[in-house]
Amino acid sequence: MRALVVTAHPCADSFAHAAAERAVAGLEAAGHHVDTIDLAASGFIAAMSLDERRAYHSDRPVIDPHVAEHVALIRAATILVLVYPTWWSGLPAILKGWLERTLVPGVGFRFDESTGKVRPGLTHIRRIVGVSTYGSPWFAVKIVNDNGRRTITRALRLSCGVRARTTWLGLYGMDTATPADRIAFLARVEQRMARLT
Amino acid sequence: MNVLVVVCHPDPASFTHAAFTRVIAGLDAGGHETRLTDLYAEEFDPAMSCAERRDHKDPEIGPDLRPYANDLAWAEALVLVHPTWWSGQPAMLKGWIDRVWVAGVAWTMADGDSTPTPLLRNIRRIVVVTTHGSSKFVNALQGEGGKRTVTRSLRGMCSRRARTTWCALYGIDRADSDARAAFLDRVERTLAGL
Repeated sequence: MRALVVTAHPCADSFAHAAAERAVAGLEAAGHHVDTIDLAASGFIAAMSLDERRAYHSDRPVIDPHVAEHVALIRAATILVLVYPTWWSGLPAILKGWLERTLVPGVGFRFDESTGKVRPGLTHIRRIVGVSTYGSPWFAVKIVNDNGRRTITRALRLSCGVRARTTWLGLYGMDTATPADRIAFLARVEQRMARLT
Repeated sequence: MNVLVVVCHPDPASFTHAAFTRVIAGLDAGGHETRLTDLYAEEFDPAMSCAERRDHKDPEIGPDLRPYANDLAWAEALVLVHPTWWSGQPAMLKGWIDRVWVAGVAWTMADGDSTPTPLLRNIRRIVVVTTHGSSKFVNALQGEGGKRTVTRSLRGMCSRRARTTWCALYGIDRADSDARAAFLDRVERTLAGL
């Protein structure tokens, strides 16, 4: 299958980047074709522009060639892997903006003209994988509702086909994690991706 | 009260800006002091840089962020006005949270600790004015991530007794002009009664 791995961390030498590399290694070991996007390195603009907002409900909502490239990669993908640090219990702005700017009507979803209801647009995605680090320990993440995970496993999941499945790999308590914890997590990411069918 | 209002929508002609106008009218009627931040108009950069990320536990912040931090320290109430996209704050507003609510501004943390100590005890009221394209039911299915980010994560850095109000228009994609007008009235009433 074809996988798209999206990394959202401003530093190229971050732990998130290390996790993304291992995810790619695992996916390739499983025989998948892997495309990658490094949002910060590619200079992706986080905020939707006024022109984009005005084009949102038109026939051509994608007006930025950079966004169009990413839309093509999303459309080709069967597996979508998002790798990022959780900040304020959610996605970093650049990743949140990536969802907003690429998953526009006609890509992420479509409006059913007859009923006025929203229909899934990502029916080709069979698996969504979230790989995230959390500064807080697991219980603190759960108390605040783990909002980034919900955005991905519920809001994004609802835009995929009914058979799409989700996989979540979290390293909790990153602020107090030992080097051994980190190494074990990276190994877990690679192993889990290598088992993805 | 000192009220900081942060508005986030790319289009000055948007319904969000109409709500922002009514927020200000309500606060003026209530006799409050206000400071206003329009993130798009101010061309705020929502993406945290690598240097900022490396220093995110350092209480020093960049001069471009200092005015935003000063506003938070001044505020007794915080009002956020924005559309809800993909069940949360638009990237522009999330970036304001990521970059401004940093160490030395919103929290402080000793080495080896995993829980932060709040620094925005001055904020005792939080109001969110937002619109959701989908229904309340669909938002509930999606887990109301944006709402919980405010009522749990941000609120945790404010006064222990901070109250939050979620003033939302669900299903705006199918709301008629009466429903929109009624919502704007509700927004003004809510803020006037702060």
